[in-house]
Amino acid sequence: MSYYRLSAALIAISCLILTGCQETSPEAEPQGFAGLGENAAAFAEANAYTPLSFPQDHGPHPDYRIEWWYLTANLEDAQGEPLGLQWTLFRQALTPPDERPDPTPWATDQVWMAHLGISQGETHVAAERFARSHSQKASGQAGVKAVPFQAWIDDWILESPPDANFEDFTLSAYSGEGADRFGYELTLSAQGPLIWHGKNGFNAKTVDGQGSRYYSQPYLQITGRVTRNGEAREVSGKGWLDREWSSQLLAPEQTGWDWFSLHLTDGRKLMAYRLRGGGEEGGDYVFGHLLSADGQTELIGPDSVTLTPLETQVVAGRDIPTRWSLTLPDADMQLVVEARHPNRWMPTSVPYWEGDVVVRQAETQESIGVGYLEMTGY
Amino acid sequence: MIWRVLATLLAHYRRHPGQLAMLLLGLWVASALWSSVQAVNATAKDSYARANALFSAEVDQLTRRDGQSLTRDDYLTLRRAGLPVSPMLEGTLEIGEERLTLIGIDPLTLPNDNALGGNGDALTAFLTPPWQTQLAPETIDVLGLSRRQAPGATPTVDNNQRLPPLTLRPELPPNTLVMDIAAAAALLDSDNTLSQLVTAPGALTQPPDGYRLSRAATLASPEQLTDSFHLNLTALALLSLVVGLFIVQAALGLAMEQRLTTLRTLRALGVPAFTLTMAILLELLVFGLVGSALGLASGIWLAGQLLPDVATTLSSLYQADVQRSLVLPWHYWVGSLVITLGGLLLAGSGVLWRAARLEILALGQSQAWRLGYQRQLKRMTQGGAVVAVIAVGLALWLSRLPSGQGVLVSFGFVAALLLGSALCLPPLINGVLRLLQRLLHRRPLAHWAVADIQLQLPRLSLAMMALLIALATNLGVSSMVGGFRLTFLDWLDQRLAAPLYINASPSTLTPMLDWLDAQPDVDETLPTARGSVDLLAEKNARGKETTRERIALFGITPAPTITNRWPLLDTQTGRSAAWSALSARSVFINEQMAVAKQLAPGDVVTLETPQGAMPFEIAAVYPDYGNPRQQILMPTDVLVQRFGGDIASIGLVVNESADRQALRQALADNFDVSPDALVDQQEIKRLATQIFERTFTITRALNGLTLGVAALALFATLLAQARERQRQLASLWALGVPRKTLTQLPLYQLGGLVLLTGVMAIPLGIAITWTLVAIINVAAFGWRLPLYLFPWDIFITLLTALGVALAAAALPSIQLWRSSPQAMLNKGVV
Repeated sequence: MSYYRLSAALIAISCLILTGCQETSPEAEPQGFAGLGENAAAFAEANAYTPLSFPQDHGPHPDYRIEWWYLTANLEDAQGEPLGLQWTLFRQALTPPDERPDPTPWATDQVWMAHLGISQGETHVAAERFARSHSQKASGQAGVKAVPFQAWIDDWILESPPDANFEDFTLSAYSGEGADRFGYELTLSAQGPLIWHGKNGFNAKTVDGQGSRYYSQPYLQITGRVTRNGEAREVSGKGWLDREWSSQLLAPEQTGWDWFSLHLTDGRKLMAYRLRGGGEEGGDYVFGHLLSADGQTELIGPDSVTLTPLETQVVAGRDIPTRWSLTLPDADMQLVVEARHPNRWMPTSVPYWEGDVVVRQAETQESIGVGYLEMTGY
Repeated sequence: MIWRVLATLLAHYRRHPGQLAMLLLGLWVASALWSSVQAVNATAKDSYARANALFSAEVDQLTRRDGQSLTRDDYLTLRRAGLPVSPMLEGTLEIGEERLTLIGIDPLTLPNDNALGGNGDALTAFLTPPWQTQLAPETIDVLGLSRRQAPGATPTVDNNQRLPPLTLRPELPPNTLVMDIAAAAALLDSDNTLSQLVTAPGALTQPPDGYRLSRAATLASPEQLTDSFHLNLTALALLSLVVGLFIVQAALGLAMEQRLTTLRTLRALGVPAFTLTMAILLELLVFGLVGSALGLASGIWLAGQLLPDVATTLSSLYQADVQRSLVLPWHYWVGSLVITLGGLLLAGSGVLWRAARLEILALGQSQAWRLGYQRQLKRMTQGGAVVAVIAVGLALWLSRLPSGQGVLVSFGFVAALLLGSALCLPPLINGVLRLLQRLLHRRPLAHWAVADIQLQLPRLSLAMMALLIALATNLGVSSMVGGFRLTFLDWLDQRLAAPLYINASPSTLTPMLDWLDAQPDVDETLPTARGSVDLLAEKNARGKETTRERIALFGITPAPTITNRWPLLDTQTGRSAAWSALSARSVFINEQMAVAKQLAPGDVVTLETPQGAMPFEIAAVYPDYGNPRQQILMPTDVLVQRFGGDIASIGLVVNESADRQALRQALADNFDVSPDALVDQQEIKRLATQIFERTFTITRALNGLTLGVAALALFATLLAQARERQRQLASLWALGVPRKTLTQLPLYQLGGLVLLTGVMAIPLGIAITWTLVAIINVAAFGWRLPLYLFPWDIFITLLTALGVALAAAALPSIQLWRSSPQAMLNKGVV
């Protein structure tokens, strides 16, 4: 085949993807994260009546439209310099269960996308991978197996030893070659239980009751090695693994979210998010969860969290809130959460802000923790 | 008042519709040729723009070393090892007579700025049933659909399957269908197998174990490659525009001459010179608009006729796909109109000038005019001298440029040469006529004839200049085409040494070699190979230069069958030394590379090999006509073993008694190749010659048209003064010159004039040929041609010009023959 024909194919795809979306009427097609609010009638719907069931639920749920295995980590290198990293595997169903094509070698009903990010100081590097699979074919370029746990795309892989029971993991992901190479090789071990968010692990995301299945492992202790600019360094610290699946994550009128996962120095964990739009009378939908150090006690429930942006900065041409006020009146907590650096933009196909933050007492400015912040739909 | 003046002026054409026709004909011819070539260029540019978008991402390819087909397992293994490869399927679908290329891709892994566009429905539609067939709008004609029906249609292809719903993508090249790899696999019934594994260029530094990596050859964009081709077309079109405008000039001049009385009357009646000039300008604009409209209409028609040939030429020369239907952007229309109107104003500027300075009382005096013409001749000589100096300057500039550069300068040089010669033509003719007059003073009739032609010269000179330009160009271009033909056919004979060739994919050819060697009928196998390499440095007489550039590699088997005939342009110490050097770690380079990199035998190129950078001495330079790229040649086994090249074809020498048909069948039975994979050398030659012929169809067509236009200009000029001529001849007749002599006189006069012009055109034509083959060709294509001259062709061209001139001169003669003496005398009364 001539290079001309090959290149022809390349343009085909770049026009397909870059302009294709605009060709179908743009008003009817919300882009990016907002698209997660599309109607999903023919897919399975998340509900609060089926309890989570392990280990099966560690694996994929192809009848639901969207799902992820989401790891963030606040680490330090040998010099004590803070370093943040992210690894995410997203799954998205292309067709409802009853419209799947026959499982021929290349037929696909699931698309996988993975993101890798490393941040330190003002530097931030990111990589992205894609793959196709068919839910009726066991192995492929990307996928997730519940037992023994394995989540992979190409050579990026998060896996547990056969008897680890979703408590011990290794993660390996690298991108680029030579001096541009970056990535990590980590060992993760859980120091606390899995946390189910909401009733039976059903997390309502609108007042109308739409939502997702959502559980976390926020008690990860991490050691390993991070490579940047071709240079490796030993790191250690805390990690947070989120599992979530849904067919309609956002209501159509919701535009995005601001999501916090914080490790407080006293061992407590705090998860809080704000869905912009979709709350009562068109307001925001805010949810928070404060957990004790042993994970046994839920300290506060939903309705008692407020999240307010204090300061925005222009990142990638958009106004991004990089300093937040987070209050939990029931727990008598008034916190300020601040990005370590505004340069944490993920320039991926669906761009968003994801980076490490410091947590301070609002009054004393005393540092009381670290964490991760994800902001989408800006 | 101006409208009344205009109406008066235009009334002239009602009485002389022939002049109007001639004027419009000139404008029409000039603008038609110009606009048709511009339409072809605009369409090609549009195609290139699309292709350029494609070329922004070339890809490297992986194949298996063991020659097996790639499968999905290869893909998964490589991906799981972290290699950024993407699967691709390619096949051919037959729809009636037409063949379409079907490409199946995986958009998620293609090496490109790729994006999973959110929940883009377009991506989902591409990836999932019923899938999508993406194709360029031109391609739907092949499917027998109209543009309205096409979107969403699911036409049936020859294997009775239906294509996924069609989606139009104007960005795609013609005759290509693109769809998801799953849909393509179903149509091609390919199951797990793959045609390609591709990766972004340079993404892999080393091929993975068991695989071979073919780098994307560094291709210039088709626009760069074809630039000179379009420049050639444009130059020819400009030439016909100029020649067409000569006709217009002649027609306008004649109309002006005949309306002088009217103009003087109008001025005497009180029309200001300004109004008169404006009225003439308005008249010009009206003609210009009508002529341009005519020209555009027929130009587009002509372009439609030329385009398929141009498209074939471009695809066979440069593999550049040009669509077969015209694309005309707005600037095309405006451009064509502006050029035609601008040309018309230039041609009519003389008339306007004369109208503005019209002396009311002046009488048309031939002798006075002749004196004026002497001044004009002087100016022409001066102008010619200036242009000649410019030509010499350009020639000096060219001689300082490294060879292979300066297409524009060379065209400038040719233009200056043509213009200078054209300007010098009338003074030269005048000088010859004066000499003749002196020689012939004892023969009154001949003396008169020479004096008479001197009188006609002012009007004829423009037509003669046009003829000179057209003749010289015609000679130049036809010598180049003819010379190329000879060289090319010779070269084909030398290059295609083996009587049979097998073309198939590398994975089929490699195992085939052993099988062929075992066949009793096969005397010799001569595999060729292709590959590419990073050129790291080149060292010539001027010094060493480091670089990193991808260069194509070509491998041949240096057996006597090949080495005895393979053409070489330049060697260090003779042919046989060069061939033994090639077998002992030297390389040959093609002429394109020698020109572009200023390399000669004895110089050294450093190439990246798996063992690191290694220097290779250049043993010879070989001609490589028709190849747009630079190339390094080495023995096939070296290319395959050391540079990871692939077997590209196998030349076969079979013994006399061999049954070729049986061999063909045995090949088809033993290997997965179609029986026509075995090609006869004669067949290749025929194909190559066909491509060659097509390449020059356009050149020949335009060339012929230009000469036709020049003949028309001459004809028009002669026709314009036919009436006046009769008047003068009548006086001679009255003086007792026999009618037969009178009839022959114009034939001698004009024949002599054209012959003189023709003789001058010959050296000019040779100069143009030389510039074309030795400078423009090298700059445009990278190869130089030997200078061939074709005396017989020159003779025929001259004869044609003479024939046209005589035919044109014959018309007044025939009129003269038919007129009664009475009528002639009546006209003769001034």
